[in-house]
Amino acid sequence: MHHSKAHIWFVWPAIILMIVILILPIFLAGGISFTNYNLGNSSFEWVGMENYEKMFSRKTYIKMIISTATYVLIVVPVSVVLGLVAAIMLNSLRFGADIYKTIFFLPVMATLLAMAIAWEFTLHPTLGIINSFLANGCGGIREFILGFHWLPWVSSEDSWYSVACANNMDFPYWLKDKKTAIWTICFIGVWQAFGFNMVLYLAGLTSIPRELYHAAEMDGAQSTWEQFKLVTWPMLGPTTLFVVTITTIRSFQVFDTIEILTKGGPAKTTYVMMYAIFEKAIQQNITSIGAAITVVFIIFIILLTFFQRYVIEKRVHY
Amino acid sequence: MLARHYIGESWKHGLLIIGALIVLIPFYMMVSMSLKSQQEIQSISGGLVGAQEIQTFPVCTKHGYTEEVCTMRPYKYNFWFAFKKAPIPRYLMNGLIVTVSIFLIQVLIALPCSYALAKLRFKGREFVFSMVLFCLLIPVHAIALPLYVMLAKAGLVDTYAALIIPWTISVFGIFLMRQFFMTVPDELIDAARMDGMGEYSIVWKVMLPVAIPALLAFAIFSVVAHWNDYFWPRIVITGNRDLFTPPLGIREFRGGIDSDEFGPMMASIVTVTIPLIVAFIVAQKRFVEGITMTGMK
Repeated sequence: MHHSKAHIWFVWPAIILMIVILILPIFLAGGISFTNYNLGNSSFEWVGMENYEKMFSRKTYIKMIISTATYVLIVVPVSVVLGLVAAIMLNSLRFGADIYKTIFFLPVMATLLAMAIAWEFTLHPTLGIINSFLANGCGGIREFILGFHWLPWVSSEDSWYSVACANNMDFPYWLKDKKTAIWTICFIGVWQAFGFNMVLYLAGLTSIPRELYHAAEMDGAQSTWEQFKLVTWPMLGPTTLFVVTITTIRSFQVFDTIEILTKGGPAKTTYVMMYAIFEKAIQQNITSIGAAITVVFIIFIILLTFFQRYVIEKRVHY
Repeated sequence: MLARHYIGESWKHGLLIIGALIVLIPFYMMVSMSLKSQQEIQSISGGLVGAQEIQTFPVCTKHGYTEEVCTMRPYKYNFWFAFKKAPIPRYLMNGLIVTVSIFLIQVLIALPCSYALAKLRFKGREFVFSMVLFCLLIPVHAIALPLYVMLAKAGLVDTYAALIIPWTISVFGIFLMRQFFMTVPDELIDAARMDGMGEYSIVWKVMLPVAIPALLAFAIFSVVAHWNDYFWPRIVITGNRDLFTPPLGIREFRGGIDSDEFGPMMASIVTVTIPLIVAFIVAQKRFVEGITMTGMK
């Protein structure tokens, strides 16, 4: 270790920027959330908890919390499980793994905004290839498979597919229908996120020593599933924890697809937090409510990370 | 035994191919629409590339071009007209200016700081490091609103500075580089000091070259994130087209579609999306490594 004054010039720029860009805004948001300040107004009054009371009583904000929670609770588990399944399958392939890896990783790299527009046309009720694919399949094998006719308890009268075929090709409107919009947005979220999780899981898998599988086999774990339970899953513990945390934080911040595809609608079913902040504070210039949402948002994220650190210390030890 | 193995392998390929096809649907749609004519798009015909019949495009003549100029194959028309309608090179240039400036400033700030945190002894070092760890929890998008208020008060909305300033400090970069420098042997630095090098030259002439692999991973992470970022530019660039980054440009093209044609719009989207995708496919291994390395901490 060396003694010199150089560190002052090395460290201070970073410290100042951290304070001004990352820490100060949190306090600023906290402060504004207790006022009725709007950007452009010269004066403001302290209003106490009023903004928070609005947030937790008005229907709009209740819907905001429901749609954000729905999005996070669907996208995180589904994209993590899909990422894991894809990684395990690719890891066991003899050839072709690299091609699949490239394809599954494409959505992670591609500009999400551009892809949202591509999805908009793909899912369009009249221009899109999804609904034309479904309409062309009426009476054929697609209707049998996607209409779940192969399940014993689904009769052809109440299969969603057959009903749509019978009703003049009345297939879902996906993003335009309040029953399907949030699920479609979740689907696009999973589509975008799972390749990232897959790559992290692939890295995790290569670090599992092969001897562990031999040892598990000696202990009588013959089937793939038993080996997975005994070796793979516990060894991937730290990866899973990281993947879950980062996917959660990213899902909380979903914005691009919402702004392009639904603008929070229909009937506020896709009104997620980031979009609410944008709409209230930037478009409608109600800065104070936006600040209150920001504060709640930051609290969510910080709690989540502390929870992750707690789990790391408690559980993920081998 | 071997036969069983192949059967096991082929059902996996079957599933993976279905998955790959689903993943590729929007890419197919995007490329296909950028090549086909409006009629083919609206009637969902013509497969991937369409018939490519030479024709005169009415929207083009309405824009004041002669019939001769407006007669060509659809793919050519879509891209030609996209460039006529919007300053796409300008958007790409802005994307480049913003991402490169962000990356360079991030390194300029983070590299000396992480070197000091890893290799220099000074009072308050632990405190600075715990501050870095705390700041790692704060996603910049989450505090976008107060940042926007601050920038608006400083009169910086609608400037390059607004696009760059919030990202100048990458605590993640500091953390990553510090972990990397911890693995660099002290002897290397001591030897440099023996040679009479000052701390500044050690940072830029000794540590920087050593840190290239970590920096490359960080560069990919940083450039991808900021090239694709839409939320922040959307907030701070309100109307000045000269400052539009690629995603803002994309949004603008879409704004006009209701009355216009889809082909040129998709052509512009393809143009803006392609640089990163090509870079990814060419240097795939590096990208995946970079994302995993920066992802795993």
